[in-house]
Amino acid sequence: MPVEIALLDALVPSLLFAFIAAGVGSLILDWIFVRYEIYGYLWYPALFRLALFICLFAVLGLCIY
Amino acid sequence: MRFIPNFIINRKAHDLVLLQAAWREWLTEDAPIIAYIFKVLLACLLAMWLSLRFELDQPRTAMMTVAIVMQFRSGMVFAKSYYRFLGTSVGILVSFLLVALFAQERVLFLVCMGLWIGLCTAGSMIFRNFQSYAFVLAGYTLCIVGLPSAITPELTFNIGVTRISEILIGLICATLVSDLIFPQRMWNVMLAAVRRRFKDFSDLLQTTATKPVASTTATPTLLRFLGDIFSLETFQASTGMENDKSRLHRQKLSRMNNEFMEVSTSFHAFEQLLRRQHNSTQPQVSEALQRVYQALSAAIMVEGRSAQTEQEALIVSRKLSAFRNQFSAKLHTERAQLSADISASERLDFETGCELLQRLTDELYVYTSTYASLAASQGSNISPTEAASAPKLEMHFDPLAVTLAGIRGTLSLAILSALWILTDWRSGVEAITLGVISSTLFATTPSPTRTIKNFMIGAIIGTLLAYFCNFHLLTQAHGFWMLAVAVAPCIIIAAWFTTRPATAIVGAGVFMVYLMHIGFNSAYNSNPVTFINDAIADLLAVLISGIMYGLIDLSSSRWSRQRIAKSLRNLVVAACRDPVALRRSRLETGARELVQRAGSAQRIGDKEDRIVMEWLLSTLEIGHAVIALREYMQVVEHPYISKMLSLGLESVAQLYDEPSEAYRIHAINTIDHAMAEINQANIEFNLPQANQHQITVMLHFIRSALLDEESVLAAGTQNKLEKH
Repeated sequence: MPVEIALLDALVPSLLFAFIAAGVGSLILDWIFVRYEIYGYLWYPALFRLALFICLFAVLGLCIY
Repeated sequence: MRFIPNFIINRKAHDLVLLQAAWREWLTEDAPIIAYIFKVLLACLLAMWLSLRFELDQPRTAMMTVAIVMQFRSGMVFAKSYYRFLGTSVGILVSFLLVALFAQERVLFLVCMGLWIGLCTAGSMIFRNFQSYAFVLAGYTLCIVGLPSAITPELTFNIGVTRISEILIGLICATLVSDLIFPQRMWNVMLAAVRRRFKDFSDLLQTTATKPVASTTATPTLLRFLGDIFSLETFQASTGMENDKSRLHRQKLSRMNNEFMEVSTSFHAFEQLLRRQHNSTQPQVSEALQRVYQALSAAIMVEGRSAQTEQEALIVSRKLSAFRNQFSAKLHTERAQLSADISASERLDFETGCELLQRLTDELYVYTSTYASLAASQGSNISPTEAASAPKLEMHFDPLAVTLAGIRGTLSLAILSALWILTDWRSGVEAITLGVISSTLFATTPSPTRTIKNFMIGAIIGTLLAYFCNFHLLTQAHGFWMLAVAVAPCIIIAAWFTTRPATAIVGAGVFMVYLMHIGFNSAYNSNPVTFINDAIADLLAVLISGIMYGLIDLSSSRWSRQRIAKSLRNLVVAACRDPVALRRSRLETGARELVQRAGSAQRIGDKEDRIVMEWLLSTLEIGHAVIALREYMQVVEHPYISKMLSLGLESVAQLYDEPSEAYRIHAINTIDHAMAEINQANIEFNLPQANQHQITVMLHFIRSALLDEESVLAAGTQNKLEKH
């Protein structure tokens, strides 16, 4: 993967897309977790959400670099 | 231990209890405020650090974003962040467009900008909550991004991207901090609000049951409910990103809000009827009704008090269900006890009361059951129909008010930019920016003039703080930590202002002006001349938007109140005349929203506002009867009777269209006539018994409401007569 992508002739870091993708991914997971009440089993849902997002983002970021 | 006298141990225990109580009080009252201030500070510093680290142009934008979106509840921070992002993005895109089209022609550019800002302000008046905020943002972002870009068109893209990056950093910091550190969940607040409302409402039912005529206390309570309905709606709208139960119960809460509106309207109608009955000479009817009503109010008690939790509401809903089953039997006995010598009209009064009581009971039962179902475990009882049946609170607005608000935003832009162009003033852009922000941001508050006054105070304090910070503290700061120490005190002061409802706007003003002037970008760059120029620009801008709010006053002027009363009456007219029957929920939300938007409920002490409230109650009372009547009318097949009823409705519509004594008498006569005809028809054509009964009862209710000399209808028409 290139480090920067030309979006309408503006160079945009690929990491931005990874960020957006990770955000969307964690939103979907979040929806599922709320729907099936998985957050009830967690001690600190907010922290879990953040950690999940960072994991997703890091995985995608590692794919780029 | 044995050597210590007993009383000392007792005293120690006593002290400990006191200490514990004080500790608990501190935990519930002061600790959240301190935690909140700490969170604002932390998020601000985090945003500042990140922006400096990424070498963005203006760390202050990120800090300002934090200051703006920070709220007590995590869910509201999410919602506001989301809309802030949307609004800013749209604003930036439009700035690109405008710069691309008109960068060479500043007048054309400003004209288009004015149009856009006017449109956005109008949009913000139409929508509620944070959606309205997104519109405001889409408008004023044009000033922040578009104006500097128009001056240096080659940097447009950079300015836009920097702005959005800074805002994103601010949003991320704010949401992270508020979600991770001492999060305040929406669910607890919402549940508390729902519980309190139910308790208040049952209390109200109790008091009216024991003291029927001392109902002057009821109006303020009903008004508070009005506020509650909309604040719950705000809460409900902000739960989309929360991860607790509130998100699961969204539909239910919104449905409950609607049910509550219906219950409170029915209650008001019944209460009015009781009051009228009480004034009449024959106490028998009112006593009989009172007895049934007391049985109802006993049914909603749990162990002699109002239900406080969902579990208790479950008990109440069972009791109500039992009460409903016995209801007709109870009425029967009461009916039998009425002595034979009372007149037909009094008997009809009794029947009307029964009908209203029946409605009240049914609606109360539905409301209680929904409330109680919050307690039941989730998962099991989400019925598939539930999601579909929950009605949304619809939008209602006055087109003229919306247009005027748009014009106001555009006018402040026009005045300030004329000032800028004519005097060639360096700080003109600054003035335009703050002027547009302040003249559009507060358009939706209940009383903009007072709000802008507070904002002005905040702006002055913020300027002083910024001066002190820029030229005394920042000059001595070296390195990030020193910078943080220099910046922090003022942030704490501003955050403390925002925690108190009375000074929240002052706090917003302090934040905005202080962070706009804070004297560093990537490095220290502040000089007193620019600072003072900008400070003058800010204060002037706020002053001008204050004048604009005063000139185009949409909420507290006499004219606007009359318009609201008129729009309220128009709802009744629509209920009578529209070929498609007005839906009940539309009437309920429409009427309440009109009043809520105007902010009359917040200023109940004012005499003219009280008239607005009375029109609201009268609209609800008559409107709900009219809607019920039209429902019953659909079953009537006989053309003559239908025509009589339509005439009756038309006369009510006429009265509400243009209240006057003549129309009132005319309406009463027409309804009298219709009732007589129906009675007659009953003998001649054999109308269905139940249907005829319901129609007569509703007609009688409308008639007695129109006859009421204490109602706003009578008062309003008399005032008019005196004027002529």
